[in-house]
Amino acid sequence: MNPTRFLFRAAGPADIDAFERAAADSVIGITTLPADRARLAERLERSAAAFASADDASGEEIHLFVVEDLERPPGQRVVGTSGIAASAGFADRFYCYRNEMVVHHSAALNAGNRIHTLHLCHDLTGHTLLTSFWIDPAYADTAAPQLLSRARLLFIAEFAERFSDRIAAESPGLADEAGRCPFWDAVGRRFFDMDYPQIERLTGGRSKAFIAELMPHSPIYVPLLPDEAQWAIGQMHPVAELPFSILLDEGFDTETYVDIFDGGPTVDARVAMLKTVAASRRGPWREASAAGGAATDWQLVATTRRADFAALLVPGAAADDALPLPAGAAAHLRLAPGEAVRSAAFAPAGVNA
Amino acid sequence: MNTSASMLQRRDADAADFPFIATWLGRPVTPAEHGERWRVVAAADGMPRAALRLVPAIGLTLPRVSFHVGCVVHAARELGLFHRQRTLQLGHDHTGASELADIAWARDHQGTGLGLPEQAAALRALLADALDCIVQQRGRYAPTLIAELPGPRDAAGHSPLWLGLGRHFYRGDPAAAWATHGPAWRSHLAPLLPQQMVYTSFLPPVAEAAIGGVAEPARLLLELLEDAGFRYGHHVNVEDGGPIMERALD
Repeated sequence: MNPTRFLFRAAGPADIDAFERAAADSVIGITTLPADRARLAERLERSAAAFASADDASGEEIHLFVVEDLERPPGQRVVGTSGIAASAGFADRFYCYRNEMVVHHSAALNAGNRIHTLHLCHDLTGHTLLTSFWIDPAYADTAAPQLLSRARLLFIAEFAERFSDRIAAESPGLADEAGRCPFWDAVGRRFFDMDYPQIERLTGGRSKAFIAELMPHSPIYVPLLPDEAQWAIGQMHPVAELPFSILLDEGFDTETYVDIFDGGPTVDARVAMLKTVAASRRGPWREASAAGGAATDWQLVATTRRADFAALLVPGAAADDALPLPAGAAAHLRLAPGEAVRSAAFAPAGVNA
Repeated sequence: MNTSASMLQRRDADAADFPFIATWLGRPVTPAEHGERWRVVAAADGMPRAALRLVPAIGLTLPRVSFHVGCVVHAARELGLFHRQRTLQLGHDHTGASELADIAWARDHQGTGLGLPEQAAALRALLADALDCIVQQRGRYAPTLIAELPGPRDAAGHSPLWLGLGRHFYRGDPAAAWATHGPAWRSHLAPLLPQQMVYTSFLPPVAEAAIGGVAEPARLLLELLEDAGFRYGHHVNVEDGGPIMERALD
């Protein structure tokens, strides 16, 4: 599919059906989307208010986005969702486990041991959090998931004062169809007597902090866990591989944190170090002269308007002066002549754009 | 055979006693040092029946470790959750205490088995003698007296607590380490063990159940220590989870 057929834009209350489909289609724990129409509607309203708000950011904001396939009939165009929470654990704490290695040594016994421990921590509290990623499986191999994930970063780069300079994203950990989760069974269950889907329902969108407070606050010595649970630490659910690979390509670090419930990897980074953010530039656009031949270079181009933020992919190399845009692309982004845009070279590994 | 306590002699151990004591302990005898005394209770014919090493103060040269067995409650009223968790915390809580160490006794007399009452009489005399020795030189001993008991063993002779906890932190063989280092091996083991609190619910159930439990052959000694005023003070030894019994001396 031609990458130019996809449009990334701020979600609105009218996108409720698409978000309901995303929530229903998601495995337990994959997104922060509740499978509840009323609560989804409330999320979308909060998001719309955040896009429109003239106030300074409080950290409480959520921003939800969709990606559309413009070649589908109107009303059926949304094929993916994504989101940003301005501040992880807003008004409370964001809990995760930090991987640490401790080295024990006894000179008298001439023995040493490198031990993997998990420390309950609040390190990521206040980080900007990428959330709500869902792509229609039929579009997994297109440029749509790339646009869906990376265009969020241009939004953060453009409106940096509304976000943290550090960013994180959770990935669901290993669990089977029935919700059996080896990490939860070895750790959380010892403190809750509940299975994993139950605890997910219980927290349902609430902060996980009140659950975390019931977990051991001393480090977990990983060698004491059953093999299956040890192996699950930092492993993700197969459905998360695509969004995870995009974050990895952006430069997120995967080694440090895991989720306190299912042991899935929680990645983190400095916003400024991410590939798309570091490569992004801001400047006016101009109409491109008629393109010839097959494109080898692609640009991810976004508006610099917050209320109706939108982004798409256009063929062409970065230019020193104004960014050349085809008339159609400028129309989709509703750009006024000479309006500023933010763009970044788009060259994801493994994607034939 | 007359087993009344009055017929039992109390004395310092001599060289001839040590082979017996080593047999009872199943390992070489640790020599007395730093003001320590080996005390023996012997039958009328002079044959030793029970022995212990009286130690004025432990942990002042080599750190003496134990696990404190604690309790943490995790409660959430809104979830209807109330969980009591047992915890193990490595520490040196008994530093400076006096100890009745290496308590050992005969199960037979020149090839003839001794009944439990006879074994008990020897142990009771041994504990009374130790307390008398302390009273006579009260200034040399601490306010607290401890005695360690061995923890449970499975059918193969392994400690369930070691299999569930210790072996993940030291891959060597505890018996071999005993043979090389004597009782000091547990002090050498300490830096390899978890330095932070461990919730016992992370251990296999058999290992959890072994904490504070007593090896079957030491049940008699446990009873007599309790008769002599010793109590379980929520500390166990780091190797097999056997209880450390405590008694105030004043």
